[in-house]
Amino acid sequence: MSFQPILLAVEVTEKSGGLFDFDATLPIMAIQFLLLVAILNSTFFQPLLQTIDSRNDYIRDTNNDAKARLAQAEQLALDYERETAETRKTAQIMIETAQAEANRIKAEAIAQANLEAQAQIAAAKATIEEQKAIAFAQLEGEVSGLSRQILERLVGTV
Amino acid sequence: MMINFAALEVGKHFYWHIGKLEVHGQVLIVTWIVIAVLVILSSLATRNLKRIPDGLQNFMEYALEFVQDVAKTAIGEREYRPWLPFVGTFFLFILVSNWLGALVPWKLITLPEGELAAPTSDINTTVALALLVSGLYFWAGISKKGLGYFARYVQPTPILLPINILEDFTKPLSLSFRLFGNILADELVVGVLVFLVPVFVPLPMMALGLFAGSIQALIFATLAATYIGEALEGHGEEEHGH
Repeated sequence: MSFQPILLAVEVTEKSGGLFDFDATLPIMAIQFLLLVAILNSTFFQPLLQTIDSRNDYIRDTNNDAKARLAQAEQLALDYERETAETRKTAQIMIETAQAEANRIKAEAIAQANLEAQAQIAAAKATIEEQKAIAFAQLEGEVSGLSRQILERLVGTV
Repeated sequence: MMINFAALEVGKHFYWHIGKLEVHGQVLIVTWIVIAVLVILSSLATRNLKRIPDGLQNFMEYALEFVQDVAKTAIGEREYRPWLPFVGTFFLFILVSNWLGALVPWKLITLPEGELAAPTSDINTTVALALLVSGLYFWAGISKKGLGYFARYVQPTPILLPINILEDFTKPLSLSFRLFGNILADELVVGVLVFLVPVFVPLPMMALGLFAGSIQALIFATLAATYIGEALEGHGEEEHGH
């Protein structure tokens, strides 16, 4: 290892070249760079930008579609809820009507039955009274016959 | 062997002669490698594009969205699109150059003269890139506003005319020298440290070099996009060096 290379480099720098050695490399680099821009534009920038754009479109479309579907589903859910509530209300009303009807029928039937029962009781009482009267009449007849007999017997034996 | 490995060769170039012209062969070789890496990566990534990205496509999409963000921030949502390939390629080319220069052990390959290094550590590359930026923002301004573009030189007041003109020279100058200086300095620091202490000690500097390399790529791309954005917008308000 020695410092000779550095010294050599300095010598060479003075002779030809050096750090600020401009030559045909400059325009060649510029042209090469422009070529690279053209190549990368067709193999890198345009294809990838197109892909990214179409992907963004796809994502936006799908997103919109999904949003529309979600809104639709929510609407359907709302409709369903409303219908269910209505049906429930209708059912409630029907039940209430039916109960009221049943109650009414029951009350009527009970009233009817009561009336009939009272009528039968009254009829039965009337029959009893009648038979009682008949029985009393018979008994009175028998009583008078028996008393006459008793009297004849008593008179006869006297 | 040890000498080869640790020698510092500053300002020596591997000259190729094309007709009467001289070119720096070592720069062109590494540039071709950089271009090959970029082209192969991007064609592999876009060969079979999928709606749900995976693997390399995912990575390259991340890179694309990164540079897209840089261009969008500097140029604006509406006008960035035509300039994205330029800004993006500036970023990717400089980043891959810097990283290849820092990560690949180029010293193992010996050239007759000079040594392989990041293309961005050669002033020709950075000046070429910076002049392209100048050309691009002039083109952007003129294609949008025609000759009215030059009205910006006397805005907000004609007194600023010399400064505004000067700025067209300082922009490429600062762009090129910032990139060139950073990358070359990092290579020299690593080179000197390897020369002095060949084990472990240079590693933090190398890591720093990777960091600086990506930062420089980002700065160059951001500034290029900002200059283009300014030319498109064009109401005084130029920013001076960063």
